Amino acid sequence: MKYMGKFLFAASALAMSAPAVSADEIKVGSVAGVTGPIAELVDPIIAGRNLAAQHVNDQGGLLDGDTLRLVLSDSACDPKAGVDAGGKVVNVEQVVAVIGASCSGATNGMVQSVTIPAGVVAVSDSATAPSISELKDNDLVFRVAPSDAYQGAALAKLAYDSGVRKLAMTYSNDDYNAGIATVFEKEFAAMGGTITANQAHEPNKASYRSELSTLASGGAEGIAIFAYYGSSGIAIIRNSLENGLFERFFAADGMFDTSVIEQIGADNLRDRISITQSASDYADTSYQAFETAFSATGKDPKAPYAAHGYDASFLVALAIEKAGAADRGKIAAALREVANAPGEVIRPGEWEKAKALIAAGKDINYEGASGPVDFDANGDVVGIYSVNVVGDDDKWAISLLK
Amino acid sequence: MIEFLNFYLIPGLVLGSIYALGAIGITLTFSILRFANFAHGETMLLGVYITWSLVQFSGLHPLIVLPVAAMLTVLAVLFIDRAFYKPFRASPTIMVVIASFGMMLMIRSVVQFIWGVQLKGMTQGIQRPMVFFDSLRISPKHVMIISATIVLMLAVHYLLSRTKIGKAMRAMSDSPELAKLTGIDTEKVVRMTWIVGGALATAAGVFLAIDTHIDTNMGFKMLLPMFAAAILGGIGRPFGAVAGGLIIGVVEEISSYPWIGTEPLLNPGYKAGVAFAIMIAMLLWRPSGLFKGKVF
Amino acid sequence: MDQFYGIFLYVISLLTMGGIYAILALGLNIQWGFTGLFNAGIAGFFAIGAYVSAILTTAPSVRHLGGYELPYIVSFVVAMIVSGIIAWGVGKVCLKLRADYLAIATIGIAEIFRLILKNETWATNGPRGVSMIPKPFESLPEPWNQLAFLGLILATVVAIYFLLETARRSPWGRVMTAIRENEKSAMAAGKDIEKFRMEAFVVGCMLMALAGAFIAHYLKFIGPNATDPMTSTFLVWVMLVVGGSANNKGAILGAFLMWTIWSASEILTSRLPDELAIRTAYIRIFLIGLALQIFLQRYPKGIFPEVRPKPERRVNPAESPAGR
Repeated sequence: MKYMGKFLFAASALAMSAPAVSADEIKVGSVAGVTGPIAELVDPIIAGRNLAAQHVNDQGGLLDGDTLRLVLSDSACDPKAGVDAGGKVVNVEQVVAVIGASCSGATNGMVQSVTIPAGVVAVSDSATAPSISELKDNDLVFRVAPSDAYQGAALAKLAYDSGVRKLAMTYSNDDYNAGIATVFEKEFAAMGGTITANQAHEPNKASYRSELSTLASGGAEGIAIFAYYGSSGIAIIRNSLENGLFERFFAADGMFDTSVIEQIGADNLRDRISITQSASDYADTSYQAFETAFSATGKDPKAPYAAHGYDASFLVALAIEKAGAADRGKIAAALREVANAPGEVIRPGEWEKAKALIAAGKDINYEGASGPVDFDANGDVVGIYSVNVVGDDDKWAISLLK
Repeated sequence: MIEFLNFYLIPGLVLGSIYALGAIGITLTFSILRFANFAHGETMLLGVYITWSLVQFSGLHPLIVLPVAAMLTVLAVLFIDRAFYKPFRASPTIMVVIASFGMMLMIRSVVQFIWGVQLKGMTQGIQRPMVFFDSLRISPKHVMIISATIVLMLAVHYLLSRTKIGKAMRAMSDSPELAKLTGIDTEKVVRMTWIVGGALATAAGVFLAIDTHIDTNMGFKMLLPMFAAAILGGIGRPFGAVAGGLIIGVVEEISSYPWIGTEPLLNPGYKAGVAFAIMIAMLLWRPSGLFKGKVF
Repeated sequence: MDQFYGIFLYVISLLTMGGIYAILALGLNIQWGFTGLFNAGIAGFFAIGAYVSAILTTAPSVRHLGGYELPYIVSFVVAMIVSGIIAWGVGKVCLKLRADYLAIATIGIAEIFRLILKNETWATNGPRGVSMIPKPFESLPEPWNQLAFLGLILATVVAIYFLLETARRSPWGRVMTAIRENEKSAMAAGKDIEKFRMEAFVVGCMLMALAGAFIAHYLKFIGPNATDPMTSTFLVWVMLVVGGSANNKGAILGAFLMWTIWSASEILTSRLPDELAIRTAYIRIFLIGLALQIFLQRYPKGIFPEVRPKPERRVNPAESPAGR
């Protein structure tokens, strides 16, 4: 007991002393599902956010040379933890804006019970649930990740245009994949395609052979997979190929990762798999600026939502600069101005240029690594999608979907 | 019909073998140490990651480094027993059950801390199955998993029925008081229990990793089916656990077979619930299991 | 000034979550502390309460069952009743099992509940969850809305505490302890053990559902991820063991203490460089586990050990003047 008391005292003393803000530091909350079911996907996203902050700080910092500091907090992909994490950064750390909170459920809870009431702007870089658009958010919730209504449609069109008419589909039963699958099913049927079978599957099972066998019995020409590569996607492709059940795969971006090629083998996947991904054309100048810088950190710039993480963080920095003060209300109001046209185009890494333009009172328009990031009335962006196939160099080759 | 064999029965048997190996450890701990070890899935997880590191380090096939990995895992388990379970030998069993509950979290977070949460593969690429009679398909790795399971089970059988320590284990499982009276070194028996359980858990995990891949949630996902297998077979009956594992593995797979029409009988989203349902049903109707195990 | 106001708001949120966990811990205390039932499926009953209350109070939505827009008091009561009925069914089949078996069975049942919530999309919106749940007092201005909600939670905790204390001192409570300590002699004393255990199980599960209902309104969102076994079952066990099982004060203290440590420890680790902060997220979980182990070994009775109610003083006829 005695020790417990001492520990608590020390902990509370630390907690109290910690938030003392040094005058030249502006804090932004960086809430992410660091632990929990999608931890492996979150790592590159955080790296994306941090890279943007680093660019800002290396090129003159915010306002009068203030440092941008991202305060990391764990949403664990759980709405309880998301609300708690949001509360900590907003109230204890007194951040001026929040980026996050990874999963749609955690984001949904966090924005409704913390950031909207507190009047803090939240920019999500990976929550895609359509229900977030419907919130009464006082224009405080923005997403650089497109609602999955777009991606489901894009993938359906891709599959239909590639000549496939009969598809089986399976989705991992989580908030992200179930959402895209619902849209895909509707869109593919609307175009005139047939879904021969549609099954949910529970992630993290050892084998999907029986599910796949049932799915294959309907005579489909291929299968659309909505899953995270780690928890079930790779196993599904492996089981399909090993048993000759399916040879043609369509997948959404939860499946996009270099480990898919590493685990299955490039030759086994060539001409067989197409993965849509919410990302810019990789030939795009904005993307390339990001790619060069991000590769230097040793992480994969094509990792899902890494580019979105960068954009969210960079946009918040631009909004702070535009607002001219670390003021929550002004930053929220400035966000749309720096993201949307009109204005001079700013690309990833061009902080110095942006800072100079804002100082001169000129309009700017951020064109991000993940796309043009123009917010609509709901604070959503229109998704642009690319398709990934296995290229001749045994790596993912990407092209923009029109 | 051949579809049923290829895609439902054989995968079910492979999965069942893996459950079976894990369930042996659970059933032994339950009957000899008298508690439900919630950290058993995590023991498996630790074993897999140790194996993975050894494979990375040596470049050898996982099966070759498996004995070394199993040994290291057993050392860790013995340490855990000494530090966290032994103090409760004389306390009500519930204390050590809660302790194992806590251990489950601790082992998993250590694994996540050391190895990170990125997905890992034990083997790369895909393996096309061998085809017999033009239609029966079975992949070499499945042959390997099933045969290795058989070998390990025979070894356990030999240990329990032919060796002195094995006989002592059985005696202690039947009646700890009597075992003590007859001069059996109970701590030695306890150690042996952890050795067998830890080694088999490592093997089960590595087989699972060879069949699929490695991630840090695999331990908890396997825990309940393994418990179910142990209860189904009857606590304290290693061969019952094996039978239980096979039954649960197979039933899980065939529950989604389109028995009626072309739709799966059970929505595969509920597949994970099959093992729980079997387990609960068994607990209610016949808690002693199929093979007349113990009920505490 | 903002800084202190912010910390004030954070303390409110700590107390709110702590209070909700206290209700869970009190529910578990009835089951485990007083009666010796090892319920490892807390998350299941918590989820039932959360979803029932969410569905009953939300505006119509195409995504899930709902549109009833009932008042909170009705939804809380219905959530508790539904959970109570389900608990009765579960209890009917599971309560005859001894501790370890009951733990395994309840874990399995909670997982099955979770699968149902994830798969029956028409009712629960599946993995996407129920959003835009109204929150009591949310129309009040900041920070009064939060204070009022906290008041509701704390008042509930206090009310439950006094009810349970009364029950504990009553003959009913003493029978419970007797069953836990020595089932056979309780049976020999002519007590219907099955009935008493069932009562404890059902009441405990109803409290868990009430906590679930509160959390749904507090978060304004509920999804399957909010009811994972880690933070909805395991953490509650740690709270009860640390606080002191069979002691209602202990259950409440344990809940506030462990939630504060769980939440506030991150404020410290978030000061580390990110690479390290990501990894220390796991170390936090490790330390929680270790804290449990230390308490189990060093202070197995928790911070507040059980206090047995004193038997009513028997009046000795020899001493009493009237006895003459």
